[in-house]
This record gives sequence, C-alpha cells and structure tokens, in this order.
Amino acid sequence: MTDTASSRIPVTVLTGYLGAGKTTLLNRILTEDHGKRYAVIVNEFGEIGIDNDLVVGADEDVFEMNNGCVCCTVRGDLIRVVAGLMKRQRPGKPAFDAIIVETTGLADPGPVAQTFFVDEDVKAKTRLDSVTALVDAKHVMARLDDSKEAREQVAFADRIILNKTDLVTEAELVEVERRLRRLNPLAPITRAERANVPLDQVLGLGGFDLGRILDINPEFANPAHGEAGHVHDEHCGHDHDDDHAHHDHDHGHSHGARGHAHEDDIKGVSLSLERPMDGTKFTAWLDRLLGEQGQNILRAKGIIDVNGEDRRLVFQAVHMILEGDLQKPWGANERRWSRAVFIGRDLDEAALRAGFEACAA
Amino acid sequence: MKTTAFDAQITAAVFDNTGAIFALGDGSVRFEGGEFSAAHDGAILCAVAHPSGDGVLTGGDDGRLIWHRRGEAGVLATAKGQWIDAVDASAESGLIAFSAGKTLTVIDAKDAGFRRDFQHERTVSGVAFEPKGRRIATSTYGGAALWFARIAQQKPTFLKWAGSHTAVTFSPDGAFVITAMQDAQLHGWRLKDQKNLRMGGYPSKVRAMSFLSNGQLLATSGASGVVLWPFIGANGPMGREATEIGFDEGSLVALVASQPKHGLLAAGLSDGRVWLADPAGQGLNFLKAERGAPITALAMSADATRVAWADEDGQAGVATI
Repeated sequence: MTDTASSRIPVTVLTGYLGAGKTTLLNRILTEDHGKRYAVIVNEFGEIGIDNDLVVGADEDVFEMNNGCVCCTVRGDLIRVVAGLMKRQRPGKPAFDAIIVETTGLADPGPVAQTFFVDEDVKAKTRLDSVTALVDAKHVMARLDDSKEAREQVAFADRIILNKTDLVTEAELVEVERRLRRLNPLAPITRAERANVPLDQVLGLGGFDLGRILDINPEFANPAHGEAGHVHDEHCGHDHDDDHAHHDHDHGHSHGARGHAHEDDIKGVSLSLERPMDGTKFTAWLDRLLGEQGQNILRAKGIIDVNGEDRRLVFQAVHMILEGDLQKPWGANERRWSRAVFIGRDLDEAALRAGFEACAA
Repeated sequence: MKTTAFDAQITAAVFDNTGAIFALGDGSVRFEGGEFSAAHDGAILCAVAHPSGDGVLTGGDDGRLIWHRRGEAGVLATAKGQWIDAVDASAESGLIAFSAGKTLTVIDAKDAGFRRDFQHERTVSGVAFEPKGRRIATSTYGGAALWFARIAQQKPTFLKWAGSHTAVTFSPDGAFVITAMQDAQLHGWRLKDQKNLRMGGYPSKVRAMSFLSNGQLLATSGASGVVLWPFIGANGPMGREATEIGFDEGSLVALVASQPKHGLLAAGLSDGRVWLADPAGQGLNFLKAERGAPITALAMSADATRVAWADEDGQAGVATI
C-alpha cells in the first residue's frame, strides 16, 4: 500500500531571505551526480525540467482552515502541486525520491509545515522531513533586526546553514551563531561557503520523526560562560543555582549586530527535570499550553521520563499541531531525565519552567 | 468485463461516443480499442470528453490542452508555463473551459480564433459549465465565480463563502452551484437568491460529485458510503436529510459516477472495489469485488450502460451493465 511511512515521499523545506544562497543550494541539489530524482517547488512563475528532476512554480497561496484551529493556516498551492506531482507516480515506484519546497524570503514557514500535517491527501503521500534555514553570515544580523520573517525562519528550522562564512571574521561568526542559537537552541548550525554543505545535511534529516528525536541537548542553547561571544547581563547567573547549570538556563538576551543590547521577540526556552514526571499531568499541561499559546509557539520538542513507564515519551509540535508517542525504552544505565525545548514568540520562561516542573510525579 | 494494466497511474477515465478512454500520469491517453496517444510531456491532470463526442480533451502539467482522437492528437490551447488543473466542455454550446493558475480560459471547439481569458484573485481549482453551456462556474478560495462564457469584458458574479473550495458543479436544472471544500464539506448556492446551502458531516474530503435521477439526487464521495442529497423542488436539499447507501466501515468512497438522466450510480472505493447501485432499489452489484489500490478514476457512459474504472497502480477495467 502507498500509505505507509516508508513509501511516503520526504519533503524538505528550504527557507531563507533573498541572497542567503537558496538558489545556489538548489542548483547544487539538482545538478550533483546523486542518481536521485527530485521535484523542486519554487516560488517563481514557470516550470523548467533539469534532466530527471522537475522544477515547478507555486504561488504561496496561504489560507486558513475552517477547522476551528485559529493558527491552522496552510498553503493551498502546495496541496494542489503535491497532488499533481503524485500523478507521475508509477505502480510500485514513488514519483520522486524527495520533494524540496523553496519559500520566499518573506514566507512564514508555519503554513508550509502545517500543510503536511493537516491535508489528508498530502499526508497520505508525503511526509515532512525537515525545515532548513539558510542565512547569510554577512547580512543575517541586520535581517534579524529588521525582519520578523527572518527571525521566524531561523526559529522554525531543524537545521541552520550559515552560508558565506568566508565573507566575515571568526569573531563575527561566533557572535552570529550565538544569536542563532538563542533563537533556536534545537537546530544544529552548519557553516558553509557558497552553500557547499553536504546534501545529507539538508535531505533526510527526519526533523519531525518522533523515532529520531533521540537526544535533545539544551547545552548548546548558550555559549558557556567564558566562551567567546558570551556577554554578561542583568539576568546572567540567575539560573545557576543547581548542579547542572548550563543544561537548562536561557538568558533571553541577545546582542545586535552593532553591539547594542536588545532582545529578540523570539527565543528558545530549554527546560529539564531530573525527577520522573506524571504522564497525565504533563499531557494536560502540554495540551493546555499549545491550546493557549500555540500561535506563539513555533516549534517544540521533548523527551519525557514518565513515572512508571519504561519507554520515553517523545513529542514534537508545530504551533498547535502536536504529535507524541512512547518510543524506545530507557537503557538500564541511562540517565533518565526529561527535557523539552519550546521556541516561540514572547514566551514567559519562568511560567513555562514552573508549569513544566509542576508536572513532576 | 475487460481489464488492462498500465505502467502509469491513471488520472482520469472518460467515455466519448465510441467507448472508454483513460488518461495517464505519464502523459499518454489509452483508448479502449487499444489506440494510443502520447502527446503530453508530463502528467495529465484533468480530462473531459470533447464537445463533439469524438475523443477526449486533456490538460497537463506541461501547460497544454490536447484533443486526442483515435489515431490523431492536436494542441488546442496552451497556458504558458502553468499547469492546466481543471477542464470542462459543453456539448450544448460547443465551448471548452479550462483553468491554469488564476486564469479561466474559454475556447470554442468550432472556432479556432475564439479565446477568452478571465482572471481570478486566487488559484482556480475547478471549472463547470451550466447545462446550457453559456455560463461557467469556477471554484476558488473564498467561493465560486460565475462567468458568461463568451463575453470578453465582464465582472463575474462572485458567490462568497469563507474557505477553500476545491471543485464545482452545476445542478442539471441550472438552479444550484455546488462546491466541494478543503475542510470536508460541500457548499451550495441557489442562484436566484444566492441562498446558502451547507452540506457537511463528511469524514474526508469530497473528491467527486455527480447528479443522477433527473437531477433529483446528488451523489458524493468522501464517506464510508455514497452520500446522496435530495434536489427536489425549489429548495433543493435545504431542510432535508442526506441518505447514505453502500455503507462499509472499512473503506471510503473515493469516487462516484452517474448520468443526470439515469438512475444508476457507480462508486469506486479506497480499497479498490467498484460497485453499482440503483438508489431506488436494493443492494450493491460489485463490478470489481477484489480489493487493491485506491480507485483514482471512474466514469459512466452517457447512456448509463457502461462503467470504466482505474486504480492508482495502473489497473483499469470497463464493464457493460
């Protein structure tokens, strides 16, 4: 049958503002000798075929679902284009090895991602693999300052490609990476020049695959004290009162490209707890949180140690769309602990932490 | 019953005056008699019988509208660089309408120089002629637009209803326009007063709508059985209940096919089965009882004597009732 996870075509979403290097990366994906057949959905009028691959234009037609979920916006053009692409499928063979969706610099990645969870036809034929954000090392600080979309694209990503690193100094790169990590503590950052990132760091990441959320390391949310780029501020140190400091604190402050202190409206909040959690309490808390603040929560991921359960509870969320499941058992000698990261706009870190910790069994 | 296996997905089935025709995802058209046409460079996205009753019109992701007859094929129109997503044709007026992106285009089967292009604000998802072939309804985001087929300069009548409308049809008496919606419901308008009809309760998106029994019933897919809405009297289904036939918990009705003047109904299921029924009678007559890949194409001949179906894995069949 065609509805099993393995036969669904993986979809990679590529975000990034104009000049970040998306076209360079797409050209590499299309021209490299990989023996794969890709369909690329771009935001340009027209259609050109390159060898085996297909490039098709889409028009970022965002609309709201009438399903009562206030933030449930989807991309109508993607539903249409994916349905059309699937008609090229031959008996027993997928139509393409992967689909790559390029968004414009001003696009909100939320509706793109939600399309793959909400539309029944799209869901039956494809699965969202990951969202990769390309940023240009030289201009990203200014873009993050003046563009809400640029901040959202970074915050939403499963992986960030920091491109054009040859155009800036190491000190500038450290500063940029620090701000990117604060916006998004979950996404690994890959440095690149002329988008020369290995394709296996863009395709097949499994960013939404619960089975692949094996570890969440809130450590890399912040450069450690003393690390290059760390700047002390009035909040610094207020979370240093437990033994695993650096696991679970977030300064919530960032510093602009030009050295002025200011805070991004979006940040990642990392939470952890060493004690087992009450499964029922936690699920109720998470449901309520996403129900009330789902519009502001771009992404969330977590691994929870549920009291009385040998398997870890793993969840991931995009706005109000939550997926959770019990995954592989904890190892006999494994450190059992719960950790979760919420990335969003105007998050009340203290309230999140209090709510999370109140779910302790 | 005749069955054939093709090495591509079948995206549409159509009957012309001669027999069944299948349109495929590899861009080819296969006639029941074995004739073959491979005019598209890409997948065929939509198909309808030619207004003359000879051959099929297909729209492709190569932006071409092609008329295939047994032994010949020719491009009737192009939509530069865009997919042709929907097509309809009217035997009564001889006109052909198709959509590509936000544009509805009307051409005349008998006049190669005639072409009208009508713009919408959002992408057009479906196209349907009214029974006399003089007006066209399009479905789009936020409702349906009504156009006069031949008038060059005009503002359409826009029938508003919030949400994304994914397909459109006219009732055979021309009194109602019905759309299928992204969120698993139908919407309708009575044209004389634009009164709204809401027809909901589907567990899944409605992919097919088809009138039968002299326009007194609208058969729809998207549920575990075929959902039938009564269109009797001036109020249509307003204030009436739908009925469901062929309910089977284990499958969904993927497609329905019927002819407005006849009382027979064909249904193609998500588990590959195909049945025929007379809503006034009893029981289901399985044309294809074995399960398989989901049915992706289904058609009934104009005289309601034959049914053609095809599934996602390229299996196709034609049965005489």
